[in-house]
Amino acid sequence: MNTANLMSRLLAPCALALSLAACSPGNDTQAGKTLNIAFFGDNTTLVSVDPFQVYWLEHRVLLRNVAESLTDQDPQTGQIIPWLAKRWEVSDDALTYTFHLREDVTFSNGERFDAKAVKTAFDSDKALATELPATFGATYLAGFDHAEVVDDFTVKLVLSKPNAGFLQATSTTNLAILAPASYALSVKERSLGKIIGTGPFVLASYTPEVGAHLTKRKGYAWASANMKNQGEAHLDAVDISYIPEESVRNGLFLQGKADILWPRNPFSEVDLKLFQSKGATIQSRSLPGPALNLYPNTRGERVLADRHVRQALQKALDRKSYASTVYNAEFPVVDGIFDVTTPYFKSQGAKLAYDPAGAEQLLEQAGWTKGADGYRQKNGKRLSLSYNITPAETAGDVLIQDQLRKVGIELKLSVVTRAEWVANNSAGNYDLTINYMTRADPIILQTILDPRSANSSTLATNTYEPAVLEQAKGLFDAGITATQAPQRAAAYGSLQDLLIDESSAFPVYERVWQAATSPKVKNFRWTAEGFALLGDIEIGTP
Amino acid sequence: MSRYLIGRIGQALLVLWGAYSITYFILYLLPGDTLSIMLSASGMEADALSVEDLAKARAYYGLDKGLFEQYVDLLLGALRGDFGQSLSLNRPVAELLAERLPQTLSLAGLAIVLSLLGGIGLAYLTAYIRWQPLKTALARLPSLGFSVPVFWMGLLLIQVFAFGLGWFPATGSRGLESLVLPAVTLAIPSAAVYAQVLQRSFQGVWKESYITTAYAKGLSRGQVQARHGFKNAALPILTLIGLQVGNTVSGAVLVETIFARSGIGRLAQEAVLRQDIPVVLAIVSVSAAAFVLVNLLVDLLYPWFDPRISHIPKVS
Repeated sequence: MNTANLMSRLLAPCALALSLAACSPGNDTQAGKTLNIAFFGDNTTLVSVDPFQVYWLEHRVLLRNVAESLTDQDPQTGQIIPWLAKRWEVSDDALTYTFHLREDVTFSNGERFDAKAVKTAFDSDKALATELPATFGATYLAGFDHAEVVDDFTVKLVLSKPNAGFLQATSTTNLAILAPASYALSVKERSLGKIIGTGPFVLASYTPEVGAHLTKRKGYAWASANMKNQGEAHLDAVDISYIPEESVRNGLFLQGKADILWPRNPFSEVDLKLFQSKGATIQSRSLPGPALNLYPNTRGERVLADRHVRQALQKALDRKSYASTVYNAEFPVVDGIFDVTTPYFKSQGAKLAYDPAGAEQLLEQAGWTKGADGYRQKNGKRLSLSYNITPAETAGDVLIQDQLRKVGIELKLSVVTRAEWVANNSAGNYDLTINYMTRADPIILQTILDPRSANSSTLATNTYEPAVLEQAKGLFDAGITATQAPQRAAAYGSLQDLLIDESSAFPVYERVWQAATSPKVKNFRWTAEGFALLGDIEIGTP
Repeated sequence: MSRYLIGRIGQALLVLWGAYSITYFILYLLPGDTLSIMLSASGMEADALSVEDLAKARAYYGLDKGLFEQYVDLLLGALRGDFGQSLSLNRPVAELLAERLPQTLSLAGLAIVLSLLGGIGLAYLTAYIRWQPLKTALARLPSLGFSVPVFWMGLLLIQVFAFGLGWFPATGSRGLESLVLPAVTLAIPSAAVYAQVLQRSFQGVWKESYITTAYAKGLSRGQVQARHGFKNAALPILTLIGLQVGNTVSGAVLVETIFARSGIGRLAQEAVLRQDIPVVLAIVSVSAAAFVLVNLLVDLLYPWFDPRISHIPKVS
């Protein structure tokens, strides 16, 4: 499969050129107002569109338009704004959140949206989190104790311990409110598409690995301020298909059979130029949450236990040329631990400059001298780092390997299956590894780098030297217990500084999500977490 | 005859059991462990859970039994027709198979028919044509067909017939239309093998004395080829059909990915990657059963096509 993938990647440009030569301009005979979206593959390891369990970005795009949340988040400022809740109060101890709900909202099955429905949703989510602690939504619900119905349209959510990210959590798809009827079904039924929400679209069908079909919700009238279109969706239906093969997916878009081409990885320069020459618009947004960072293993006898070596590694990465060669000249250069769209982002640009001479100097100081083969050695041992990759190495991986080679560090890229990757990671059998999650709140870093709540406590522990770990834990605590914005800014600012100063994370590139929209697609707009508001989209003549 | 049949069925069962067991132990030997893959899929690594939670999770997924105990459980279940529960998809394997199998069966079925038509047609034509340059050109075609990688042929067909000419949809699994391109892609390597073998057999058959006899009876070249040549030359094809059925299943993995079809092939690939042992075992059992069955049928058909072959012991 890997060779096949590689070959098809190599062939893709030829295939695209061929298709261009072979085809005449697309003729729009498509009936009605159906928007076709071509995503890359479906999630085959966790088959679920249950909002609470879903981390798969493509599913969250779908869910954002089907199920709605108590609050919404402004994509520009990161502020939490009203949605299904008109307003809310937070108690001084930040443990009680009182939400005053809209009174005109119904679920697509006709059930009324009210305080009871909200309680049902939070109770069900909590029950699932207790049963399956590994489920993704559990981190959003951290500290949640119980919900109280105050009156028909007022609900109190009570936490048992502070969670400064809780208000933002109420704006996410993960804590979207489904109809009580949905929660009466089993988790399995919800996972396979029995999702009833209040959104501008209804999930008519979901077929794993094939696609999904959304239809317009008649009478929809309760959009948040993020939507320009406050009424029913302009589109009649949305057809989502999962096309794993890149050249086929691109071809469908060029042929006009897909209106939005939305793969996971940013477009290469060749593809980008090709799509633009056909009149397509490239929509881009940095996904909030950590940038694509490499995390070191600083424990035991590992090479990266030496702070000098880690700092040299930081200096040896040329992020500017990574962005421009792997992607394109306009691609943003990573500027910190987080992507720029994350609230409380703090730029670390000055400390992330490319400085190969400085790197070499640090390595010399640490006792690693260059051998005849260009790689550095100490006590007869080569300066070699192991980096596990699954399912295949990318151009970017090879570029990093080359950048490190220039200062005498050998980066061993071992391509392994997902199973081996997971095993190596949890056994600490690596020097560098990656992990990322998308959420528009800095609290998401706890899921990766706080050993007490991280999805891999091995990674979260290994990334810090033992002494630094306590400091980091303190900052995480300060961040989650902060009740005021300036306190949070201070805590997360220091944390970002710490991670760079200790070289406990090596930012590589900004996680930009790109979609190509055909000329007839109007008003494509991003949400704060990098999803699209399909209710705003209009299909017109190009 | 019935004794022969019983023997063959016994053999077939042995092959099935062998395929099942070998697959199970290979999957077990793969690096990585099923539990951590599954926890990782839901967003949590195994190392983040306490020992008790891990044990709970292991028991929940039925992974707390030993290597052989699990094997015996699975095997006994399979014998009763119960393939168990997919670990990661959280659904009965039988249900998954029922959903995916028709997709692959229709694809493989059409591919087999197309490959027979294409392969035999090409060889027949090559044998009939007497103009040497064209005959040579046609005789070279099978090696080309077999050398072109399946995925590349698939992409090429999509570019030309879906994107270029717009005759067929590029992806999806709706209706006969969407079946044509994938089936052709899958048929080409098998067709090439049939054509190559049949061309060779024709070459040999033409030299046989019964051909000379047929001509002497005053039959035309066309009649001789159809009645005497083809019947004798076609026998090796029968053997090949049995073998090619296996290739069709493995080819389905690639073809289903390229054409974004949801069938057994893709399911198999993904199940192997996430070490979903019950799913892989079920797919292996089904495809091994198909393979064994087709080969048994082929063997039983031999005497019917060629009376010289007999399964009944000769009386001395």
